[in-house]
Amino acid sequence: MSDLEPEDRINSIEQLDVVVDTDGHVAESYEELVKYVENSAVRKQLERSESPLSDVYTTVHPSPRNRDMYGGGGAYGESFTYSPDNKVQELEDFDIDYSVLNSTRNLNISSVNNDRLASALAHAYNSYILDFLDDRDRFKANILTAPKIPDRAAEEIDDRADEDAFVGVAMYLGGLSPPAGDRRYEPIVEAAADNGLPLVFHSAGAGLNQAFPRAYSGAQTYIEEHAISHPFQHMASLTSLLFNGVPEKHPSLDFVFLEAGIGYVPYMTWRLDDHYLEAPDQVPGLRRLPSSYIEDQFYFTTQPLGHTANDPNHIARAIEMAGPGSIMYSADLPHADFDPPRELFDRINSHFDSDTVRGIMGETAVDIFGLT
Amino acid sequence: MTKYHKIATTSELSTHGDHVIQEVRGQEIAVFNIDGEYHAIANYCIHQAGPLCERGELTGYVGEDQDGEWTWENEGQTVTCPWHGWKFDVPTGTNVNDQRYRVPTYDVAVEDGEVFIER
Repeated sequence: MSDLEPEDRINSIEQLDVVVDTDGHVAESYEELVKYVENSAVRKQLERSESPLSDVYTTVHPSPRNRDMYGGGGAYGESFTYSPDNKVQELEDFDIDYSVLNSTRNLNISSVNNDRLASALAHAYNSYILDFLDDRDRFKANILTAPKIPDRAAEEIDDRADEDAFVGVAMYLGGLSPPAGDRRYEPIVEAAADNGLPLVFHSAGAGLNQAFPRAYSGAQTYIEEHAISHPFQHMASLTSLLFNGVPEKHPSLDFVFLEAGIGYVPYMTWRLDDHYLEAPDQVPGLRRLPSSYIEDQFYFTTQPLGHTANDPNHIARAIEMAGPGSIMYSADLPHADFDPPRELFDRINSHFDSDTVRGIMGETAVDIFGLT
Repeated sequence: MTKYHKIATTSELSTHGDHVIQEVRGQEIAVFNIDGEYHAIANYCIHQAGPLCERGELTGYVGEDQDGEWTWENEGQTVTCPWHGWKFDVPTGTNVNDQRYRVPTYDVAVEDGEVFIER
C-alpha cells in the first residue's frame, strides 16, 4: 500500500461510487411464507404444523438462540417480521446502494426432510421475495433452490431467471447432504450456467450438530475429505474448547493444534472474539476474549503450509496475524505433505526479527514441550 | 467547559427502567432510572457506533460461579446494543465481557424535579 501515489488512494468512504451489500437478508415468517404455497394440498399440510422448526424444517440447536441481534433478532420468531420498509431503512442507515437478498429461515431449506415440502417452500419463497422486491430497484435477490429434487430446482431457476430482480441462484449449505459438488446437483448447476447467473453458496448458523458430519459423508474422494477434514476439525475443536471455558479452568495448560497449517487461525480468532462479544450469555465460562486465551495458551503448528508460491510473503503475514508467539514449525515427516524446515524459514526470515524466527522454528517448542 | 444540561423531569423517570434519550452538545445521551438512582450513559456503542440504548431494556447477563454453575448477574443495570448484542453495565459504562471496552458515562444532578447531566 505504501508505494501508492496519493491520487491513487481513496481516503474516505464517501469517495466510493457504489457500495453493494452482496448478502442482505429478509426475515420471512413461516406463516407469511406458507401463504405463498400454491399447491393447496401442500399448503394445508404446512398450515397444520404444530412446530415448523421441527416437523417441517429440522433445525435443532444445542441451546436456545442468541436473540440480541440487529433489528430485534426475531428472524425465526413468531411475532417479528422484517418489512420492506425496514430493509430500505437499513440502506439509508448504512449508506448502502444495493443489496442482494437471501432468505433467513430457508438457509436451512435442506433440513426439510420431505422433498415435496422443500420444493414447495422454495417456490413459495421465490414468489414472496418477488413481491417483497416489487418496485424496489436497490434490492436484488438470489433464486432459492431446494436441492432435494434437482430437476424441479432447475425448472424453478428457468422459470424465475427472466425476472430482473433475480441476480443469482442460491444453494444454501445448512444441512445440505451430500455436499454441494455431488453429481446429483448437476441440473441446478447447469440451469444457473444456462441462465448466466452466478451460483451462490451461503452457510447456515444451524445444522452443524445434527447434519454436518452426515452431510460430509457424501464426499467423493480421499483428497476432498482430507482438504476439509483437518481444518474443520481444528475449527470445531478450538471453538468447543474455548466456548466451554476449558482454558479458563486450566490456566497453566497449553493447547497445541497439529496438521492443519495456520491460515485459519486469524480468521477463527476474529470470529470467536466477535461471537464472544455478541453472545456473552452463551459463553459465561470465559472471562476474557478468546484471542487472549489463544495468545496465552494455544499453539498452532505450520505444516502443511500449503502452496504459497504465488507470494511467499503471505505465509509470513498470516503468521503475523495469528500471533508469531503461538506458531511453531512442524515437518510431518514422512507424510507426503511434509514441509522441510527451509520451506518455512525462507518465507519468514526476511519478515520477522531473529528472536521471532528462532521462536517459530524451534525455541517456542523447546519451552512448550520442555525440551532441554 | 462542563455545563449542566436539563435532560428530563423526575416524573419522566419515576420508576426503575424508565429512560430518556436526548442530544446534548452533539452527543446522544441516555438517562436511566436504576432502582431510584439516575445514571447517564452515551447512546453510542463503541463497537460499530450503534444506538446502544435505543431498545432501552435493562437486563442482566449470564455468569459462571466457582463450581461452573451459571449465575444471573447485574440484573436491571445491563443495557444491550440492538445492533450486535454487546452488553454494558450502565452505571460504569463497562462492557460486561471485556473491561477494556467502555462507553462514556456522565454525572447526573437533580434539582426541583428536573434531571441534569454534566457535559
